[in-house]
Order: sequence, then C-alpha cells, then structure tokens
Amino acid sequence: MEMLGLYPTWLEPMLGSGWVVAVISTIHVLASHTSVGAAMVFAYLAVVAYQQDKPELLDYIKKYGLFLLVFSYVIGSITGPGIWFSTTVASPRGISALIHSFVWKWATEWVFFVIEVVGVYLVVYLVGKVDQKTHMRIAVIFGLASYTTMLIIIGILSFMMWPGKEVWFTEGGYLNGFYGANTFAQLAMRTAFMFTMTAVVGGIVASGIKELAFKKAMLRRLAVLGIVSTLAGSLLFQWYLHTLPEQAHIVLENRLPDYFQPALMMVLSGILAYFLFTLIQPRLIVPAIAGVMTVAILVFGLWPEEVARESIRKPFVAGQYVYSNQVIARDVPGMGIKSEIPLLEDKGFLKSHVFLPENLRTVTPDNARAVGHALALTACSNCHSLTDTGIRPLATYFGGNSDVGEIKDYLLGALATGNTLYMPKIPLTDVEAEALAVYIGALDGEK
Amino acid sequence: MNTEMLYALRDVAGVPSHPVLFLILGVLTFALHILTVQVMLGASGLVIWGALSKDAYKRQLAQAMLGTAKIAVSVAVVLGVAPLLFVQVIYDPFWYTSNVLSATWVIGFIVILTVGYLLMYFFYAKNHHLATQKTVCPGSMILSLALMLVVGFIMHVLVVQMLSPDQWMQWYAPNGEIDASGRGLHAYNLWRFAFFISLSVLVIGSWLLAYRHYISHRTDVDSGYLQWLKGLAGALSLAGGILAIGFGIGWMLTLPESQASFGFSPWVWLAALMIALTAVMPKLMGNKVNAPLFGYGLFGLAAVALILVAVAREMLRWNILFGDFGYNALDYAVNMDWYSTLLFFGTFLIIGGTVLAYFLTVAWQAGQTDGVYTPSPAVTRLGNLSIILITLWIIHFFVLGLWVWLG
Repeated sequence: MEMLGLYPTWLEPMLGSGWVVAVISTIHVLASHTSVGAAMVFAYLAVVAYQQDKPELLDYIKKYGLFLLVFSYVIGSITGPGIWFSTTVASPRGISALIHSFVWKWATEWVFFVIEVVGVYLVVYLVGKVDQKTHMRIAVIFGLASYTTMLIIIGILSFMMWPGKEVWFTEGGYLNGFYGANTFAQLAMRTAFMFTMTAVVGGIVASGIKELAFKKAMLRRLAVLGIVSTLAGSLLFQWYLHTLPEQAHIVLENRLPDYFQPALMMVLSGILAYFLFTLIQPRLIVPAIAGVMTVAILVFGLWPEEVARESIRKPFVAGQYVYSNQVIARDVPGMGIKSEIPLLEDKGFLKSHVFLPENLRTVTPDNARAVGHALALTACSNCHSLTDTGIRPLATYFGGNSDVGEIKDYLLGALATGNTLYMPKIPLTDVEAEALAVYIGALDGEK
Repeated sequence: MNTEMLYALRDVAGVPSHPVLFLILGVLTFALHILTVQVMLGASGLVIWGALSKDAYKRQLAQAMLGTAKIAVSVAVVLGVAPLLFVQVIYDPFWYTSNVLSATWVIGFIVILTVGYLLMYFFYAKNHHLATQKTVCPGSMILSLALMLVVGFIMHVLVVQMLSPDQWMQWYAPNGEIDASGRGLHAYNLWRFAFFISLSVLVIGSWLLAYRHYISHRTDVDSGYLQWLKGLAGALSLAGGILAIGFGIGWMLTLPESQASFGFSPWVWLAALMIALTAVMPKLMGNKVNAPLFGYGLFGLAAVALILVAVAREMLRWNILFGDFGYNALDYAVNMDWYSTLLFFGTFLIIGGTVLAYFLTVAWQAGQTDGVYTPSPAVTRLGNLSIILITLWIIHFFVLGLWVWLG
C-alpha cells in the first residue's frame, strides 16, 4: 500500500519546536550578518589603512576581529548548522526539501565558509606580521568570500518563501527556483541591515578604545555607516514587501498584530536615534551602552522580523509545496513531485502514516483520545503548541469548547476542505476528525 | 519498519546529481572533519596535561596546543558542515528519524558545543602566558574537553540509531504509546565511540611531529624541547595506535550478528594496517623525522589512515542498510541539475584550491619568518588571482541571476 512518508514528531512542551528554531535562527542572523558586514568593513579599512598610511585602523581590525572570533565564529558558526539541526527535528521534510533542491549551492557556500574561517584568523593574527599590502589583500579576499555566503543563502531563503519563478513548478530547474524578484529585494535589504548590525556591534569594540581621538573617529565612522544603512534598509524593506506574493500580503494584513508595523517603525527610529547620538556625542558611548543596543536589536528588531517571515509563508514551510505539517500539498511536475492530499483523502493519516503505532491505526472508544493526540502531533503541533504555553496553543483556538460534535464539524467543514486562511488543507476522514475532536475537547480540561 | 516504509520517507524532489557523488564527498569530508576533531581533542588533552604540571616543557607545549585547539574547533565545525549536508541527501530517512527521536539532545548538542567552546576561550583569555605563569582556572578547560566529549557522544548516538530502523517504532512509541519528547538516547556502542576518541591520541602524535618541524627553524626554541617533543610524539602515536586497534577489535566483535564477518573484510584490514603503520612510523623513522618529508608527511599518513577508517565506516553502514534492510542509497531518483553541480566542483577546485593555497602559503611562511613577512611575486600573484576569481564568481551570480529573473 502507498505510504505517507511522514517522520516522527518532536513535541517541545514549553516553547514549541517552531520557536526553538526561531530562537536559534535569530541569534544566528545577528552573528552571521554582523560577521559578513564586518568582513567587508575590514576590507575597506585595510585599504584605507594602506592608502592613507593609518596603521591604527589595523589595530581596530584586530580588536574587532578578536571580538568576532567569539561573537560570530563561535556563536555564529555553531548556530549556523544549529539551524539545520533544529529544523531537522522540528520540520524534517521542510529542511529536506531545501537540502534536496539546493545541496550543491550549500556545498558551494561551504567552500566559501572554509575560506572565511581561515581568512578571519589570518586577518586577525597577521596584523604586523605581514606587510600591509599583503594584509590588505587578505582582508579583501575575506570580505568578498564572506559576502558570497550571503549571496548564496539569500536565494535559498527566498525559495523557502516562494520559488523564484512560477515556471519552476512546471519545469523545475535550480535556477528557476533560486532567482526571482524576492531574491534580489531580500539581498539588498539584508545587505543594508547587515551593515547596521556591523555598526552596532562594532561600537562595542570602538567604545572601548582608550585613545579618545581615535575612539571618536571610529565611532563616528560607524555612526555614519549605521545611519546610511538603516535608512537604505528601511527603503529597501518597502521593495522587499512589494515582491512578496499576494498570499503573504493577505497573511500580513490579517494575521500579524496591528501594532506590528508601527512597532517596526519605532525600532528603526530608535536605531537611527542611537546612531545620531553616537555621531554627536561619541565620547559618551561605552561598551555597555553598545552592548545593550545590540541586545535591543536582537530582541526588538530581529526576533519580530524572523517570526513575521515565518508567519507570512504559511500554510507552507518550503517552496509553496510543503505544508507546515510536512504534507506535500501540491503537484510540482517540474520536479516529479506528486501531492499527497489525494492519498490522505483516500486513506487518511491513520492508514498511511509510516510512524504510527499499529494500535492507533483503528479508532475505538477506548483509544480515541490517544489517536486524536497522535493526529494532533502529526497535523497540528508544528504550528500549535499542545500545551498551554509556547507557539499558538491549540486549546486557545477553541475557546474552551469541549463539545466534540462542534469541534468535529469545524474540522471537517473548514480544515478538511482547506477553507481556512493561513491553514493547510487537512483532509481528515470522519473517524479521524472524531478522534481529533475528542482530544481537542479534552485539552481545556487538562490545564 | 520495512523497506517500503524506508523508501516512502525519501524526499520527493530526488537528488540533483548521481547519488554516488554525495556518498564519496560524504566520506572524504567526514574524514577531514574527524581528523580536525581528533586534533582538537588531542590538543585539549595536552593543554590540560601541561596546565596541571610544573614541568617547563609540558607548559610550553600546553600554551602552543591551546592555540591549536582553539582554531581546531572552528575548523572542525566548518568542515563538519559538509558531511552533515551530504548525509541528509542520500540517507535522509535514517538521519532525520534518528535526530527526531533524540531531538532534545540534538538541540542540546548546539548549546553544549557553544558552552564548551566558550569555556575554551575563557581559559585562553585567562592564560595568555601559560608557559611561564601559574594556571588560572584549569577547571574551565577540563569542563570544555568534557563537554566536547559529550557532544561527540551525542553525534555517535545519532549515527548508531540510524542503523536500527527495526527498533525505531519501539523507541518512538514504546508499547504503542507515543513519546514525542525526544529525550531518549536509544542506541550506542561504547567500543565504537572509544575507537574514534582514541584515534585522537594517534593523530595528535603525528600532529606534534609536524608542529615540531614547524618550530625547529626558530632561533628561540631550545633543542632539548625539540628532542622531548620527538619522544612524546612517538609515544603518543604508538599508544594511540594500540588503543585504537584494541577498541576497534571490540567494535567489530560487538557488531550485529548479521554483520559479524565485517571485521574480516578488506576495508577493515586496510584501515587497521594504516593505523598500525601510522603508529609505528615515528619509531621506525628515528632521526629521519627531522626531514620535512617525514616531519609533515606523518600527519599526512594519519590523514590517509582516517580516510580509510571513514571508508570502512561507510561500508559498514552500507552493508547494514542494504544487506539487512534493503535500502539502496544509490538508487535515489535523480533530477539532474548540471549548472549547480558544475558550479560546486568549479568553485571547490578552482576558487577553493587557489585561495586556500594562497592563505596557507602566507600563513606558513609568515610563521617561519622573523619580523615582517613579504611574499614573493609568485605568491602575490596567487593572492591577486584569488581576488579576481571571487570577483568573477560574484559577477556571474548577478549577471546570471538578473538574466533568469528578468528573462
């Protein structure tokens, strides 16, 4: 019999697996964007140091580089594969879809990662040990190699939202999946904000410089970089929004809280205000202030951005064909992919799911709740916490309703037919809907 | 879990080149990764050994190995990305299942590795002059090494769990009741784990010979230290080889019944022979280890031994998954994509080869030079070529991308 190749499910009861991924991703974005931006700033400073004979800039490169070795090359390097690990356990078929389409692109990125890691050690430890022109050459290679890593990952992130071109669905092909309007808009926006992060984190190091005149000069340079990049990023963000598919806009308008846009504007204004203050009064900036600002960007800037990016591609998790609950939602003839919805409509989860214990494949009055739990794990838990904490708790969506009949009606009427905005089509059979309703109905009482 | 179910778990998009490419790259990059891991573990062990000692040579070595260990973690992490990528491509049903079944530990892996690495940096920050000054907070380095071993054990478990699809359902739903907590570590083989860890003793022995040769031209290094290093490297190589072969025999004896004869396969004998050769070579070579060919070459020999170990490990996995469960990783559906395939190999061979040749030449020469090092014109040309090649790569990215997007 044809089987549905779903993996086991991991249930993280406190946060929910989705938020575990989000936490790791957010930390990684800060560390990696800072790293790439800093690499390019290093290249620029090394050129200036060489052309204008300003060896003190090399001291700054060394100090910022040593800081980055921990900030980006410990935390960033580990959280990078950490995103793979966390998505592997939270959404195995989602990450698998990306891996199987873009394995060579990721392998290409890996070549540049290796260059980057060797490069950062050379840039930091060869200051004063090689002639200045050679150091400049190494810094330029390091900066360029770092930026290529961003070029590569952006295309994959864009595909996650929406394959580059519609023709990918019918003809396949890596290039059609990778390149599109969203790829370039996202690249431009992230490049700008990458420099914002570099300027903020660079302030931690620059504000600790003992020599006052040099401290002021470095902080002012970073402030200018920060102001320009924040303004540019804000404009490019509008371009990015413009390239989002219509479905994403509907979700943006209907599912994100009303305060999201104003809050985002406030965060950007706060960042600009910080850089203006730095520009006017660099003497007053100390590492603690720059450190707090870094944490503020992480919590108030990157976290909501990452969560929003995750939300607006719903109900899909990758390429507009893998549902967030891991079911293949549509045919992709270009890749020979067949939708699994017909199989589910015909057999249901219980008869086709690979990872289901035999005693739960048939619903009885005694096991209905256990079957419902298994179905909730499979079909709901990627996006809805089954406890009362964490990501979008399932129980709260039913308002304490324990009427099995009403819940079942909703499941069969709205979910099984795919008529709920933002939600995947979940074609439950009648007995499956009954079992899931029994489980959901009992959720409120379990609190 | 029958064969049909395993095949159902495969990714529906297929793979973009023949699966054998991913198999080969997986083996080679795993060998490089584990080699660096073993350098890191061995170096960390020597740091602790020296930091807890009052002996001047041991402390001098500890200071040098602290620098080695710190960089080795970075390199091990970045090299580890490649085998992690390739295992997901052709062994996805096994890798993903194993990970989900121990998901909490998988997330723990990230946290523990980060803490372990930060502790190493903490110890480094507190002990810049380990050779001459009292050790500060040695516990941080000991804890760092302990956490690295925990991380290694988690990875070991994930790899071993892959090999038991017949037990997955029992682990996921013991007695028919689903346990989605991911808190279990369900299968391990301590012999196998000890085998890979013990290889770090052998590898660090070879590494010490290379290190010894590297510093032998410096005027500030005393000959007594070099002589002591030579003895230590020989002893470590021999002890590491004996330990690894001992644990390796234990591993082979504890294989599943269906694979009982694998220990007699040529793959295992070849790997064992190369381990033994790497272990005894420093003793056999005597004073010849002073020559560059042997000073650096013995580490190369260790790398070859590790490649053969990686091949044997892969053959065992193949035998179990194909022989016992009927899963053939090489019959994965292919959705051939020539562009991305050629882009990888072109980038890997041309850009990777050129840039790393330049970087490593400059690093090596700078370390051998008293004062400021200025590269020869030929080396400088290599640097300029590196810049040109990466720039061309970036231009190609945009030109092709815009052509596809707007086309």
